[in-house]
Amino acid sequence: MDMDNFREMFLTEAAEHLQLMVDLLVQLDSDPQDQDGIDALFRGAHSIKGMAASMEYPETARLAHHLEDHLADCRQLGQISGVEIDWLLEAVDLLELLLGDIRNGRPERNVDSFIAGISKQPEAAVDCVAETKTVELTACGRGQLIQLQLQESVAIPGPRFLVLLKKLADLGTILESTPSTEDLLQGDAPNQLLVRLESDIPQQQIYQQLQQYSELQVITFPDEPVEEKSPLKRSPDKSVRVSTELLDHLINLTGELITNRYQLQNALKEDNWQELDDGVGQLARLVKNLHHQVLQVRMVSLESLAGRLSRTVHDLSRSHDKEIQLKLEGAEIELDRAIVEELTDPLIHMVRNAVDHGIEQSGVISIKAWRERDQVLVQVADDGRGIDPEKIRQRALEKGLLNPAQAQTIRNYDLLQLICHPGFSTAEEVSETSGRGVGMDVVKTAVERVGGVLLIDSAPGEGTRITLKMPLSLAIIRVLMVECAGSRMAIPITRVVQTVEISPEEVQSSGKQLMVHYQNELLPMLSLRKMLKAPKGAHLDPIPLVITEVLGRKVGLVVDQLVGQREVFVQRLPSPFDQIRGCSGGTILGDGQIVFLLDLQTLFDRQRV
Amino acid sequence: MSKRVLIVDDALFMRAMLRDIFEPAGWQIIAEANNGEQAIAAYKTHQPDLVTMDIVMPELGGIDALKKILADSPAARIVVCSALEQKGLILEAINAGARDFIVKPFKSAQVLEVAERVVVE
Repeated sequence: MDMDNFREMFLTEAAEHLQLMVDLLVQLDSDPQDQDGIDALFRGAHSIKGMAASMEYPETARLAHHLEDHLADCRQLGQISGVEIDWLLEAVDLLELLLGDIRNGRPERNVDSFIAGISKQPEAAVDCVAETKTVELTACGRGQLIQLQLQESVAIPGPRFLVLLKKLADLGTILESTPSTEDLLQGDAPNQLLVRLESDIPQQQIYQQLQQYSELQVITFPDEPVEEKSPLKRSPDKSVRVSTELLDHLINLTGELITNRYQLQNALKEDNWQELDDGVGQLARLVKNLHHQVLQVRMVSLESLAGRLSRTVHDLSRSHDKEIQLKLEGAEIELDRAIVEELTDPLIHMVRNAVDHGIEQSGVISIKAWRERDQVLVQVADDGRGIDPEKIRQRALEKGLLNPAQAQTIRNYDLLQLICHPGFSTAEEVSETSGRGVGMDVVKTAVERVGGVLLIDSAPGEGTRITLKMPLSLAIIRVLMVECAGSRMAIPITRVVQTVEISPEEVQSSGKQLMVHYQNELLPMLSLRKMLKAPKGAHLDPIPLVITEVLGRKVGLVVDQLVGQREVFVQRLPSPFDQIRGCSGGTILGDGQIVFLLDLQTLFDRQRV
Repeated sequence: MSKRVLIVDDALFMRAMLRDIFEPAGWQIIAEANNGEQAIAAYKTHQPDLVTMDIVMPELGGIDALKKILADSPAARIVVCSALEQKGLILEAINAGARDFIVKPFKSAQVLEVAERVVVE
């Protein structure tokens, strides 16, 4: 009997139950007498208890058992109170942490202290809820992830991080960190520090303490405490559940492919060209079908995120004492699971921002998803106070992101995109001036990592809309093929604004920088050859340009030749090629030629350093 | 009451630089020392709020002095001063208990930020 297999199954199923329980709890919050909901919750706890007990995970089983007992009482009462819902949500969080322990092969954490609190909790008077809540959060030993990044100007990051690690150690217990103290002492000079801290000091106070370090550029508390998402650990093999119907399809297709093979072999033996031709046609049809079906396996709906989003809004409206409604539309839209996973944190971050800075007392956050050709659009909108472009203009000037002439001519819309500039959005005072919080650059980077784009639209008093445009799948994407220094390269089409050819006379120079006019804007021209450190090419006339956007600003990328668009199957580069910066994958053309997929964002970043 | 700092550096120039940074900001320079032995003695006598400790000094070096001071007074707030390229020494000093570090050439704002931060801890 392969226990690993069972463990994987247990983890997948238990996680599904927990997800469902979170959804149910959030629903029950608005309808506390929903009998079916309470029943379903009870069944969830019951199932987890049974599974955990048979897998011999005593702590998980014990906690699930207590939950079950507690929910049995609620069933009898026929209702569930807000206090209980908060407590149950915490219990579910703790169960998730336990699953994380199991997944990573660690001993399960102890649940005694949490269970000890249970008998008190349901009777607790409403006015001491907040207090009890904090106590319990720490009691269940929930480590908080903290991510720190230094200003680029910090010359020796190693010692600085070591000081910060020691500082954090004063504030609580460091459960783990990347890099570790030992790594740092051995001279590691990382660009970021990731710490899992267990502490009874509120997050806000930890943040304030860290803010005293002007050397820090980014201080974030990544949301996901579950180890699965944490970059601290090698992520375990992920499993998906596939419907038997889909499996049957795949098996049928395999059968047809076998028949096809015999047909082709026969035709070859008999030199029957007609038969061979038919066979190849058949093969093409089968492969296309197979491709379609296999892609289906990778697709998940955004529904899987809905629970976490409602949960975030629920928690935030409690803690901020605001009345916030979450509207979800188009949650049935399906996307590649890798994209959905990458999107989770950015979406939660945007929702947080909307609550923190957009909505004043009460309001609506709506998340809408829809398809447009081979792209999926996700929009997070709030009806809060919006962003004042004047304040951004001022700030961009102060920060040197725009020169006075640019500040005069830039359109409001382009101005808004500057919020995502890393030099813009990290300072804490931005939240006051712009109404947006920290870390929009982080959101944008995450979206771009999966080949998407992020657009911001807002006006004072009219709320803020942030739209993400994403490819449907990471595996198969449309690319623009270009030629540069004798090689063919691909740029994801989502990154391309337009392709144009200009004559050399249109090029202007501003200091050392070559510029070109494009739709009433003066764009800097950058040479792909130069970025790739290839030798200078021959004089081009006309000059092929790829207009693309980097950090919210358009630039013209000079290539040797524009080849055309096509769909490609992107493959990850095997180690050590995955270390090449500026290259996010590769694909093999029909003639065996390997084409690299350019990651423009990283290439530009490298250029600037 | 103004905060009291003990400046330890074998170079008069560096001590003068630090004095120039601390005094206008309202700090009291309680004493100066030009090697580790002197630093230990001065710490005992004055019990300053903060020590800025150069690492490379003749006779007794900064890291040894820091260890000795901390052995007697574990709560001592010591910040080491060093040149950029002495990264290894800085790491060693932090590991030995230095609260923070400042790098030469000193920038007034940076020195004061570190000093204020360490003193309120």
